[in-house]
Amino acid sequence: MNRALTVARLQFVDWPSVVAWPWGILALSFVINLALFASMNENVDVEPTTGGLLSIYVVMFVACVSSITQDFPFAIGLGISRRSFYLGNVLQYVGQAIAYAAVLYLLAMAEQATDGWGIDLRFFGLPFLWVEHPVLRFLGFAIPFLLLGFLGIAIAVVFKRWGVNGMLTLSTVALVGLGGLAVLATWLRWWPAIVGWFADQSGAALLVGWPALLTLPLAVLSYLAIRRAQP
Amino acid sequence: MSPVVTVTDLTKRYRDVTALDGISFSLTENRIHGLLGRNGAGKTTLMQILTAQNFATSGDVAVFGQHPYENERVLSRISFIKESQTYPSNLRVSHVLRAGGLVHPGWDEEFAQRLIDVFQLPRQRNVRKLSRGMLSSLGIVVGLASRAPLTFFDEPYLGLDAVARQLFYDHLLADYTEHPRTIVLSTHLIDEVSDLIEHVLLMDRGRLLLDVEAEALRGQVVTVSGPVAAVDEFARTGAELHRVLLGGTARATVRGDFGPAAPDRARSLGLDLEASSLQDIVVRLTTSKTGHAPGAGGAGATNEEAAR
Repeated sequence: MNRALTVARLQFVDWPSVVAWPWGILALSFVINLALFASMNENVDVEPTTGGLLSIYVVMFVACVSSITQDFPFAIGLGISRRSFYLGNVLQYVGQAIAYAAVLYLLAMAEQATDGWGIDLRFFGLPFLWVEHPVLRFLGFAIPFLLLGFLGIAIAVVFKRWGVNGMLTLSTVALVGLGGLAVLATWLRWWPAIVGWFADQSGAALLVGWPALLTLPLAVLSYLAIRRAQP
Repeated sequence: MSPVVTVTDLTKRYRDVTALDGISFSLTENRIHGLLGRNGAGKTTLMQILTAQNFATSGDVAVFGQHPYENERVLSRISFIKESQTYPSNLRVSHVLRAGGLVHPGWDEEFAQRLIDVFQLPRQRNVRKLSRGMLSSLGIVVGLASRAPLTFFDEPYLGLDAVARQLFYDHLLADYTEHPRTIVLSTHLIDEVSDLIEHVLLMDRGRLLLDVEAEALRGQVVTVSGPVAAVDEFARTGAELHRVLLGGTARATVRGDFGPAAPDRARSLGLDLEASSLQDIVVRLTTSKTGHAPGAGGAGATNEEAAR
């Protein structure tokens, strides 16, 4: 456990850049949206809704990919075990997810309190994925970080462990699998049922429940794969 | 003294290449070991397996008495500096030092800072923007300042000029004298390190050709030159590794248990005798067919080469 903490600290030796990327890009996206809708908002009474919040999740996904492709060879080269690297990496990432989700939660509250920053802008709170319960609402910000993060880790681990061939195999399996399911769904006329199922899910289920359920196997499989990966 | 590293019948096979072919040896504590051999001899693979970065196909390794794989107690006492080490793209030189300090329990920050000045490394420069030589220097700084009880240097000085290499040798020797530890130095620049190395491990095509004290080796291999008949007579007592013929005279590199009487014997045969340099020995052994002979026996086969 000690060494896992060392890894977590190792990944923060350049902490300004770790924090600056996700928040810098989110801030940029926010400012652009604010400027755009403020200049357009004179006559209409629509509530502008943006997908700008996604940018921070995308940056964290990329950060997780590079934690495996870049930090892993460095840490192993310094003499860290794979287990400690993985635990430390997860530790620092979960820490970031919790902290960032808390900030996003507060920003969403501020957005509500200021009537969408004075121009009815919905940037931090998504209307169609509204979660009422405060704890679930917080988790609704945190768990998607985990899902995307572990997805990035899992993909990067496949690359680290099995190289380009592994990536090609993974893409092929994903393509055939998802494509096959789509064909099957069309053939069996399942689409209305599928859309209905998604519509029936609450915001909490879509943001917290299902992502958490998907994150768990990704985390376990990544751990098993990285244990035999070479830096 | 218990060995720091014990390797037993270690084999590593890739699809159609045998990188390590059943080698066994052990490393004594607080020594500087030279791990020598040509490109592709298996040196890097061996070090990767000893540091649990690669996996053996069969055989056993014990480092500080235990298997290194996922073994924090062992890994925290190892420093492995390799030419191919990559760094995260956002890190600066100062960040890498901080990382080294976090990971290595024996890290000496003051020493690291001193070495950064010695090698004139720019502390604030991004690691990806360092020249090849600077990158090598950074590895050397981390390797020395880590003061790890077992330190591997795998070709640590790609792109380093002669001055920087000498600085490395000087600081390695000085710090080793003050803080004895087990060092494995893998290199092609054999002449440069021959005074530094106390124990020689010579590898060729996945096998171990030599596992011997440097001091003992020096007296074991000699080069004699003179009339062919006299050279034949002298070479009878050892294994001839190499011979050059020039008219009626021959020059032969011979390995054997010669002892202090060898110079006199050569003189009485009318031969010039010189001790071979470590580099000569390595070249002759890796190119000689008799190189695999463990001792001075098997004096029959020779590797003749007519002078052009």
